[in-house]
Amino acid sequence: MVTVRTRSWSRPRSIADAERGRVFPVVNAVLLSIVVLVTVYPFATIVARSFSGEGEIRSGQVSVIPRGFNLTTYKLVMSDATFWVNYRNTVVYTVTATVVAMVLTTCYAYVLSKKNLKGRGALIGIAVFTMFFTGGLIPNYVLVTSLGLKNSVWAIALPNAINVFNLLVMKAFFESLPGDLEEAAAVDGLSTYGILLRIVLPLSKAVIATMVLFYSVTFWNSWFSAFLYMDRVDLFPVTVYLRNLIAGAATATSVGSSKDSLAQTAANIQAVTMVLTVLPIMLVYPFIQRYFVSGVMLGAVKG
Amino acid sequence: MLPMTRRRVLLTAGAATAALAAAGCDGGDDSATTEDLSGNRTGAMPDFKAGTQFTATTPLTFSILYSNHADYPLNKDWLFWKELTKRTNVTLTTVAVPRSDYEQKRSLLIGAGDAPTIIPKTYRDQEIPFVSSGAILAVSDYLDLMPNFTTKIAKWNLGADLDTIRRTDGKFYVLPGVHEEVWTDYSVAMRTDVLDKLREPVPRTWDDVHDALAAMKSAYPATIPFSDRFGIPTPGGCLLSVISAAYNTAAGWDYQNAYWRPAQKKFVFTGAMDEYRNMLQFLNTLVRAGLMDREGFTQEDDAAIQKLATEKSFAICANAQSIVNDYRPALAKTHPEAKVAKIPQPAGPAGNVRRGGRLENGVMISSKARQSKDFVAMMQFIDWLWYSDEGEEFARWGVPGVTYTKTPAGEYRYLNGLDGTLPLQQKYGFFNGVFAYGGSTQLLESMFSEEEKEFQKAVNAKTTLPLAPPHPLTDEEQERATLWETPLKDFVAAASLQFILGQRDFAQWDAYLQELETKNMSAYIDLINEAYQRYAKDHG
Amino acid sequence: MSAPVTSDPPAAAPEAGQALARAARPAPVRRRTWRQAFRRDWQLYSLAVLPLVFFVVFRYLPMAGNVIAFRRFQPGGSIFGDQWVGLRYVRLFLHDPTFWKVFGNTLTLGVLSLLVCFPLPIVLALLLNEMRRRRLKRFVQSVSYLPHFLSIVVVAGFILQITAVDGTVNQVLKGLGHAPITFIQQPEWFRAIYVSSEAWQTVGWGSILYLAALTTIDSDLYEAARIDGASRWRQTWHVTLPGIRPTMITLLILNIGTFMAVGFEKILLIYNPLTYPTADVISTYVYRMGVVSNSFSYAAAIGLFEAIIGLVLVFTANQISRRAVGTSLW
Repeated sequence: MVTVRTRSWSRPRSIADAERGRVFPVVNAVLLSIVVLVTVYPFATIVARSFSGEGEIRSGQVSVIPRGFNLTTYKLVMSDATFWVNYRNTVVYTVTATVVAMVLTTCYAYVLSKKNLKGRGALIGIAVFTMFFTGGLIPNYVLVTSLGLKNSVWAIALPNAINVFNLLVMKAFFESLPGDLEEAAAVDGLSTYGILLRIVLPLSKAVIATMVLFYSVTFWNSWFSAFLYMDRVDLFPVTVYLRNLIAGAATATSVGSSKDSLAQTAANIQAVTMVLTVLPIMLVYPFIQRYFVSGVMLGAVKG
Repeated sequence: MLPMTRRRVLLTAGAATAALAAAGCDGGDDSATTEDLSGNRTGAMPDFKAGTQFTATTPLTFSILYSNHADYPLNKDWLFWKELTKRTNVTLTTVAVPRSDYEQKRSLLIGAGDAPTIIPKTYRDQEIPFVSSGAILAVSDYLDLMPNFTTKIAKWNLGADLDTIRRTDGKFYVLPGVHEEVWTDYSVAMRTDVLDKLREPVPRTWDDVHDALAAMKSAYPATIPFSDRFGIPTPGGCLLSVISAAYNTAAGWDYQNAYWRPAQKKFVFTGAMDEYRNMLQFLNTLVRAGLMDREGFTQEDDAAIQKLATEKSFAICANAQSIVNDYRPALAKTHPEAKVAKIPQPAGPAGNVRRGGRLENGVMISSKARQSKDFVAMMQFIDWLWYSDEGEEFARWGVPGVTYTKTPAGEYRYLNGLDGTLPLQQKYGFFNGVFAYGGSTQLLESMFSEEEKEFQKAVNAKTTLPLAPPHPLTDEEQERATLWETPLKDFVAAASLQFILGQRDFAQWDAYLQELETKNMSAYIDLINEAYQRYAKDHG
Repeated sequence: MSAPVTSDPPAAAPEAGQALARAARPAPVRRRTWRQAFRRDWQLYSLAVLPLVFFVVFRYLPMAGNVIAFRRFQPGGSIFGDQWVGLRYVRLFLHDPTFWKVFGNTLTLGVLSLLVCFPLPIVLALLLNEMRRRRLKRFVQSVSYLPHFLSIVVVAGFILQITAVDGTVNQVLKGLGHAPITFIQQPEWFRAIYVSSEAWQTVGWGSILYLAALTTIDSDLYEAARIDGASRWRQTWHVTLPGIRPTMITLLILNIGTFMAVGFEKILLIYNPLTYPTADVISTYVYRMGVVSNSFSYAAAIGLFEAIIGLVLVFTANQISRRAVGTSLW
C-alpha cells in the first residue's frame, strides 16, 4: 500500500489533492481487498473441494484448504471421453457463435450510431422491441427445426446472434467516438465499409474486446439452446454435461418412486468439472485484457 | 383426435381379452381393436404370444426419447444395443436428453409435434396435458397386440391399479411399469449402534421414534437427533410422505389435494383432514423438544449427510441406495464403528400400514406411430422388451454368460468382475432406468442385498392403504383445477411447515381452514367428487 | 492510464466531455426523402440487412406464437392454438389474488436489485480507475469477474451454505452472542439474501463496461483539470462521471426496462414454500402454474403482460432521460 502511495506522488497535483492523496489510496486498497476476499472465498472452496477426498468433504472438514488431497476425481473426469468430446464442442460452438454475433452486432450497432440516418428510430425500435416481446419455446423450436438447423452449430449461433443489450452498449460507444475522423476519411473517398473497417474498428478495440468477452462467456456458459436443439450426446457442449451432473444429482431422489436413484454424484466430481469448465475462460481472459490496455493507450494517444 | 371419438364395439375374440375379462377389469372397455391394422403389419410376428421371443421379420428402426443418466451416460457401444438388435431385429435411434431436464424437453417435443415414437419415463399424471390434443396414443385400445402385458395384468390382478390411470374416456395413455407386489423403498434410517448403546429397541411406531430420539438427545444434548434430507424441492418431501401414511393421510412427495375416504365413498381435502393436523402436531412436538432439526425440512442433501457423518444427528430418511452410497461411506471416514440401517416404516394411528401402488412410470407412444407401417411390430417389440419375463431379465441382468449367470436355485451371480449395478450400467448398459423397472418380486429382489430383503419382508407384513378410485377431469375442468391446485398445494405446504416449526400456533387451525376456503378448497373438492361419480356412473 | 501524452493545447477541455457524450447530434438539416436517403447512405443500409433478416426470422417470426395467449393451446395440437378464447387467460390471471401478490414481490425485488446493483459497478470501476498500480488493478479486476463465470446452481449452493445454521454468517452471529437464524426459512430475510448475492455476482462484471467507457475519456481533460487546480474528487466529478454518462444512462434505462425479469433460476433454487410470501415472483409462479403443468396459454398471457410493462418502463425511462440529461437510447 505504501508503494501505491509513492507511485501516486509522481504526478503533479495541488496541495488539496496531496492531502487527500495520502488517505485515499489506502482506503481504496482496503476496499478493493475486501472485494477480492469476498469474491474469492467461494471459489477457494470449490477448488479445495475438487482436490479433497470424498469423506473429508462429507464430514465438513473442507473449507479453503484441500483435505485428504487426491487427484482421483480429476483423473476420473478427464478420462471420460464424452467429457472431452463435449469440451471440444463447447470450444467450436463458442468460437463460431461469437464470430457470427460480433459481425452482426458490430454492423447493426454502427448503423444505429449514425444519428442522422433516415429510419434510424425504426431500426432501433425493431431491436429494442425484441428485448421484451419474445416468441415462446415451442414456436422457436419449430422455427429452428424447420430451417433444418437442428443438431448443428448454427442452431446455437444463429438464433442468438444479436444480444440487444450488447448492441446498445456498442452503439453508445460508437456514438461517443469523435465524428471528425470519419468525416475526413469520407472526404478522402473511403467508402462506408472502409471507414468502418479502417477507422472505426481500430478505434474501438476496447469495446470490441469487451463484446467478445461478453458474447464468448455467454456462449461458453449457455446450455439451454444446446439442450433444446441437440439430440445426440456427442453434440452436447460441456455445460449440458455439467448441468446433468449437478442438477441430476439434486433431483435424483426427488422423484422418489423409481429405482434408478442410484449412486449420488460425488460432491467433488461436481467441483472438478466446475473447475475444468471455468478454467479456460480464466486462462483466456488475461489475453483479452491486454486489448483493454492497448485500447487505453490508443484512446490516450489519439486525444 | 381419432381414438377419442370412435365408439368401440366389444369383441370377444382373442386370448388377451379373455384374460382381461377374467381379471375382472371393471373400469375399462379395453378390447381387441376394431381398426384395420392390415396396412401396419410390416415386420410384425403373426403368432406373437406371451413368452415368444420377439424378432421382427424385417429389420426395423424405432425412435425413442432417451433420458440420459449422469451416472451411466449413454454409450452407443453398449452390449445392450447390440444384443437388443440381435434378439429382436430392431434398432433404436435415441434422442438423448439429459435426465435433469427430461420433462421440459419432452413437453417441448410433443408440443412442437417433433417427438420420437417411444416416450418412456412418464410418471403418474404426466401424460394428462397431452391427452386432449390427441398427440399421444390411447394405448389401451391396442392391448390385444401386447400379450405379455395383458398376461401380467391378469396374473397379478392389476385391473384396479390400471383403472387409476384411466382418463374420462375410460382409456389410458401410458403403458405403466407393473410390479407384482407393492414395493416401498423409502423409510427412516437410524444409527443402530447408538440405539444399542442406549438400550433402545428399534422403533416400531412413531411414538417409539419419539422415545428413541429423546433418549439420544438426553445422552448427547448437543445434537439434534433427527436431521432430514430430501427437502428440495418439496420441503420435508420424504419424511412427510413416510409419516403421512402412518396417519392415513398424504403429505410431502405424496401430497395430493384430494384424499380418498373409502368409508364415505368420497374425496376430502387432504390439508384440512384431522389426521393431517394430528401428524403436524406430532412433528411439532419433535421440533419443539429439539429432537428434529428445523433446517432438515429445507436443507440440501449434502448438509444433512454432513450432520450425520459428524454425529450432529443420528436419524435421517433413506432408501436402499443412500444407505450404501451415502451414509455408510461418509460415516466410515469419521466414525468407523458406526452402524446405520433403514428401519421399517414406523406404524402410526392408522395402524401398521403402508402406502403404495404397483404401477410405475411408463411409456407413452406418439399417435403418429399408429399410421406407420410397422406399428404392430412396434407394439410387439415394446411388449417384449418391457413386459415379457425374458425382456425384463435381459434389460436388468444382461446376457447370460457375459454379465451374469444363474444358479440352479435361480439366484443371479455377476460375471466378468462385475460387483454391483453401477458397473453393469456403465460398461454394458443394462439395469438402465429407461428400460429396467417393475417386474416380478423375484426379479426385483434378485438385485437386493440380504439386508434389503429383510427390510422388504418386514414391510410386506404391513397392510396396504386402499387405492383412490379414478376421478379423471374433462379438459375444461382440468384447466380450472390446475389454476386452483397450485396455489392450494403451495399454501398447504407453507402452512404445514409453519405449524411444524412452531411459527404458527395450532390455535390458528380454523383460520388456516378459512384461508383454504378463500383459495377455492370446497369448489375444488366438489369438482373431484363430481368427476369420481361421473366416472363411476359411465364406466363402473 | 497516464500514458505520456503529446499534449498540444488543452483547448476547451471541460466542455469536451459533454460534447463527447452527446456526440454528433447536429440539428437535422432538412427532411430527406427515402430515395435521397438511400442514394446517400445505401452502404450503411446494406450493413443493416443481415441483422434485420436476423430480427425478422429469429425474433419476429416466433413472436406470432404469442397468439396462444388468446387462443387455447393444447400440447401437440396446432402451435398457434386450437380455438379463440379471447381474453379468458388475461381475465384468469387478473382475478388471481396470488398473481397480484407475486407481481408485488417482483416489483420489490426488481427495484431493490436495481438500487443496489446499478450503482455498485460504477463505484468499483471508479475505484479501479484510481488504482495506480496496474498489475494490482488487473488482479482485482480479474478476480471480481469470477462470479460471472459460475453457474447459478453453484451460486445457489454457496448461498445455502453460507446462510445455513452452522454457516459462515451464523458463526459470526454466534461470535457476537446472537442466537442462530434459519435465514433460508424466513421470508423477511429473503430479499436481503437475494439482493446481496445478486450484487456479489454482478458487480465485477458490470464494471467492465464502465472501465471500457473510462478509456475513451480524453486524458487531456484530466491534464487541463489538474492545471486548473481541480482535486481528484473534482476531477472525478467533472471529468470522469460526465465521460461515462452515456454508458451509465444506457445501462440504467436497460436495467429499468428489464427489472421485472428478476433472476428466475436463482430464486427457483433458493426459495421454498416458507419464503414464498416474499420470494415468489411472476416467473416462478408462472413456472409452477404453467410450464410444469403445460398451461402454455396461461403462461403466454402473463408473459405478454410482463412484456408490455417492460416496454412502458423503458420508454418512460428513455423519455425522462432524454428530457432531463439529453442522453437516450434512441
